[in-house]
Amino acid sequence: MPNIAVFIEQRDGAIKKVAWQMIAQARRLADAAGGEVWAVLLGGDAGAAAGPAGAHGAHKLFFAGDQLAAYDSERYGIALAAFCRAQKPDLVLVGATAMGRDLGPKAAAKLGCACISDAIALKFEGGAWEIRRPVYAGKCFVDVVPKTAPAIVGIRPNAFVAQECGGAAAPVIAFDAQQAQAAPKAVGREVVAAAAGRVELTEADIVVSGGRGIKGPEHYGLIEELAAALGAAAGASRAIVDAGWVDYSHQVGQTGKTVGPNLYIACGISGAIQHLAGMSSSKCIVAINKDPAAPIFKVADFGVVGDLFEVVPALTKAVREIRG
Amino acid sequence: MKIAVCVKQVPDSETRISLAAPAAKLDQTGFTRVLNPYDAFAVEEAVRIKEARGGEITAITVGPETVRETLKKDCLAVGCDKAIIINDPALAGADEAAVAEVLCAALRKETYDLVLFGIKAIDDDSGQVGIIVAEKLGLPHVSTVTKLELGDGKLTAHREIEGGKEIVDCPLPAVLTCQKGLNEPRLPSLPNIMKAGMKPMQVVTCADLGVTPPASLVEIRRYSPPPARGACRLVGGDDAAAAARELARVLNEEAKAI
Repeated sequence: MPNIAVFIEQRDGAIKKVAWQMIAQARRLADAAGGEVWAVLLGGDAGAAAGPAGAHGAHKLFFAGDQLAAYDSERYGIALAAFCRAQKPDLVLVGATAMGRDLGPKAAAKLGCACISDAIALKFEGGAWEIRRPVYAGKCFVDVVPKTAPAIVGIRPNAFVAQECGGAAAPVIAFDAQQAQAAPKAVGREVVAAAAGRVELTEADIVVSGGRGIKGPEHYGLIEELAAALGAAAGASRAIVDAGWVDYSHQVGQTGKTVGPNLYIACGISGAIQHLAGMSSSKCIVAINKDPAAPIFKVADFGVVGDLFEVVPALTKAVREIRG
Repeated sequence: MKIAVCVKQVPDSETRISLAAPAAKLDQTGFTRVLNPYDAFAVEEAVRIKEARGGEITAITVGPETVRETLKKDCLAVGCDKAIIINDPALAGADEAAVAEVLCAALRKETYDLVLFGIKAIDDDSGQVGIIVAEKLGLPHVSTVTKLELGDGKLTAHREIEGGKEIVDCPLPAVLTCQKGLNEPRLPSLPNIMKAGMKPMQVVTCADLGVTPPASLVEIRRYSPPPARGACRLVGGDDAAAAARELARVLNEEAKAI
């Protein structure tokens, strides 16, 4: 039976939305392939997660809480590997997040199984899983087939839609996560949050990015204001990160974050190939640039040829009016 | 302090991939090959540690001998002491688990205090090898490191997470994967590139390392171009403000994106 397990990522009890996106997609696949969807929660509140897990399509919620409240690569790796050995899922989906990128290879190495990073599509055909992932930051795609079961697959946030299917709360099943044998060495001491209310680039529905066209670090506020009006994350081109105008954590591109939001607004970004690679899977792309020949217009759905110092503040104002 | 830095040569970020239709392999002829940009942060961090505390740095790579120039210029000429190239035809197309297995065989030949990687290579974008190596060697790891403080037999690292950072304490020996922001890699000087030619560069096979070429756990079916995007619709108006209002209207009413 091609059963699919989905790792539910929680930090301080808050669950990442990529978990619901993965469960919804897993349910679509499992229904077609004749299997079940098993949510796997380590730490956090199983009672609170059971409702949304079931509503998005999970048949069961497997839970282990002992010593697993906070993420630790060793403890979580042992727990996920123990779950896989006991339940034998075909696929294990984990979000391609800071936690999932750390946990996936760790658990896979413990199991000696295949690990596939950052997938955007899955299909079950002729008894095998075929998994699509972008490589070269999205300059091309590769389709791969895992040769082991389970295979652990990282799923890019926003690759799938978190549609509810109206299922009842998933029954919670406790499992032995074998923490007695865990001896973690690398231990998280504390988590320091960046500016309050900041929307994370890789998870955002909308991203507004600035490039050299903003002319100096003092004007990045224009980008942040438009982002704030849209509830969006603020991004940046490599040029302005390398110039020291904004922190690296904002960089979009082949040597920064790869993003695929519903809407990407590029302001004063010419569109170097390595930037386009990191954002061209966005569903709708808007370019604001004074140079009509800028390569960014080649990937954009909508464009405004104009001075961003005039267009961006006016757009911020118009967005505020629309969104109230 | 003995440090190993595991590096990879990749097509540079300006590379265009022209793929008209799905293909079993990517034609890589004409690609300019460079040190993976994330590996440069690992190399630089190793060199800074050596400068502060003394020690020896070994750069290790899996790949064909064409990697020589990159190792010489971007590793040996900036401060690494020696390089090992694991070159074996049996490793062509090896996946992350197989590469990790072979690197482990090389790493087990010495006792390293620190093994450094870049967070990922910008070609395969997978970011797995460092973490798999740590697990196979039984070492702790910290991934996506943006700041590192070394103590006596231990380290404190900042790792990037969504919306902030996590501060992690970890004993040595350990494996780290290095993220941009950790440091500013130096450029090699011409005299140092000349001198780097004198540093030892060893080429070994799987047999030399006493390891059977590991089977890949993932099979590549095909590469395909990303879906083509439609034409750009230019939105205008009498002035910038009018264009902006029209853009907002289009995004709201037609694209339903805001």
